[in-house]
Amino acid sequence: MLFNSLEFALFIPVVFILYWFITNKNLKLQNFFLLVASYFFYGWWDWRFLFLIFFSTCVDYLVGLKIGQSKEDKSRKIFLWVSLFVNLGLLGIFKYYNFFADSFVDAFSFFGVSFESARLNIILPVGISFYTFQTLSYTIDIYKERIKPTTDFIAFAAFISFFPQLVAGPIERASNLLPQFLKKRVFEYDKAVDGMRQILWGLFKKMVIADNSASLVDALLNSPDQSGSTVVLAVIFFTFQVYGDFSGYSDIAIGTARLMGFNLMQNFAAPYFSTNMTDFYRKWHISLSTWIRDYIYTPLGLRLRHLNRSYGYIIVFLITFTLFGFWHGANWTFIVFGIIQGIILSYEYRSRKMRKKVKAAVNKKAYLFISGILTYAVWCFSCLIFRAESMSHAISMLDSVFSLSLFSFPEFNGKKLALTTTIFIVLFMTVEWFGKNEQYAIGGLPLKFKRPLRWFFYITLVAVIFMYAGEKQEFVYFQF
Amino acid sequence: MERSIIFQKVKEIFNDTLDEIEVDLTDTTTADDVEEWDSITHIELISEIENRFNFRMSIREIENLKNLGDMISLIESKVEVSQ
Repeated sequence: MLFNSLEFALFIPVVFILYWFITNKNLKLQNFFLLVASYFFYGWWDWRFLFLIFFSTCVDYLVGLKIGQSKEDKSRKIFLWVSLFVNLGLLGIFKYYNFFADSFVDAFSFFGVSFESARLNIILPVGISFYTFQTLSYTIDIYKERIKPTTDFIAFAAFISFFPQLVAGPIERASNLLPQFLKKRVFEYDKAVDGMRQILWGLFKKMVIADNSASLVDALLNSPDQSGSTVVLAVIFFTFQVYGDFSGYSDIAIGTARLMGFNLMQNFAAPYFSTNMTDFYRKWHISLSTWIRDYIYTPLGLRLRHLNRSYGYIIVFLITFTLFGFWHGANWTFIVFGIIQGIILSYEYRSRKMRKKVKAAVNKKAYLFISGILTYAVWCFSCLIFRAESMSHAISMLDSVFSLSLFSFPEFNGKKLALTTTIFIVLFMTVEWFGKNEQYAIGGLPLKFKRPLRWFFYITLVAVIFMYAGEKQEFVYFQF
Repeated sequence: MERSIIFQKVKEIFNDTLDEIEVDLTDTTTADDVEEWDSITHIELISEIENRFNFRMSIREIENLKNLGDMISLIESKVEVSQ
């Protein structure tokens, strides 16, 4: 079920009423209801993959208990490996099998040996990359003795499949979300209103910013004029498509969870105002970047810390970010995207002292402004590769960008749409600038404005969504 | 080695690695208090401390550190053992 669909608009009030008024007498019943609602929500796409989630849930529930009970380090380790093997195994088969099969065949055909393609006819289960990481964090944290395993299966199953964040995050940690299932939620009016506000803001980002940008990106990339300026414009709109789409999705997820009395983690913190890429990754898809930091980067970095002072960290960055890129999907473009991020972060780490000196010596505001522009340019370059269908597509786009055609006027259908979308993007970024320290851009509204003015803003936002919503698109991150 | 001497040496390491930080380092200082002390510089700090005091920490020991005081205590215990 899509968040921006009629089904969801019917689903959520029904769930809300049953959750707060009918099943609220008993915590177990209420959790069981959330579990059923979540499975219904997911089953709306494809009920067959519910077995996969249920299987993963059972394995990790049992493994968690076993690790918690075992005193010996060896058996604890074996159980952890069971969890890693099952979860990453399922992810590997469903998400990466065909990629490896094709790459294998390609590699051999390069040397003149031909194999018959061993592709399997499998489709990607929605959200598998998200919930797999969530359940993995549960078993790893028990192994590391950061949390205790739960004995409440229903609460655990509801935690794994919690519908607001099941299909595209935020990837929650058991330490934050699971305890919220184990204690009674009390309805708070202000919290519910805050949730509604965040949902509204998310819908605006998704339906106005992202969906319109998406149409423009397609129009630009499909126009016969593939000049440098056309490609650059497409990439700029794509940066707002992907940001509006994913942060909008996150806002709806967090807001919906808050309607049920749950607090999910912040997933975006105004990333487009970052002044370097290291900073950017602290503000972009925070639930994934902190996951990778805690479960891949730090353990790997600590183990390899004596490798070499001058280039050891580059290896760690490259491995971490290649995996980060590959997480997005089985395509060489994502791998190259990841490698580029690894190189950039290595450079930034290497030059951090030098940059600090420059910052102290020049006008600070000018320095931050130029850094901000450069960071955004680097992100645009990264997004070009991220968006490309294949590496050869990426190279042909880069060919156009670095040619004289960069200075021509872009030719495409939809210039009027481009103008209105640009206006909305500017407004969006302005609001975000003033709310950049909030949990979400308009989160501070109640403190800043009185009720009539707030309502005026909400009604305008609703009107804008109805009048200017773009062609309905699936969420970009559902494919990951 | 006395705790105060260890503390002094650790401060030097922090200042070298993180480049002249402005925050006053105390026992209760955590990475949240120091802008430059992040997941990336943390690894370099650990390996610098190990090199200068000439000992090794296990992954578990590193993961259990809660603040700077913990780190000093760990160094103290390791250096005592090796002396």
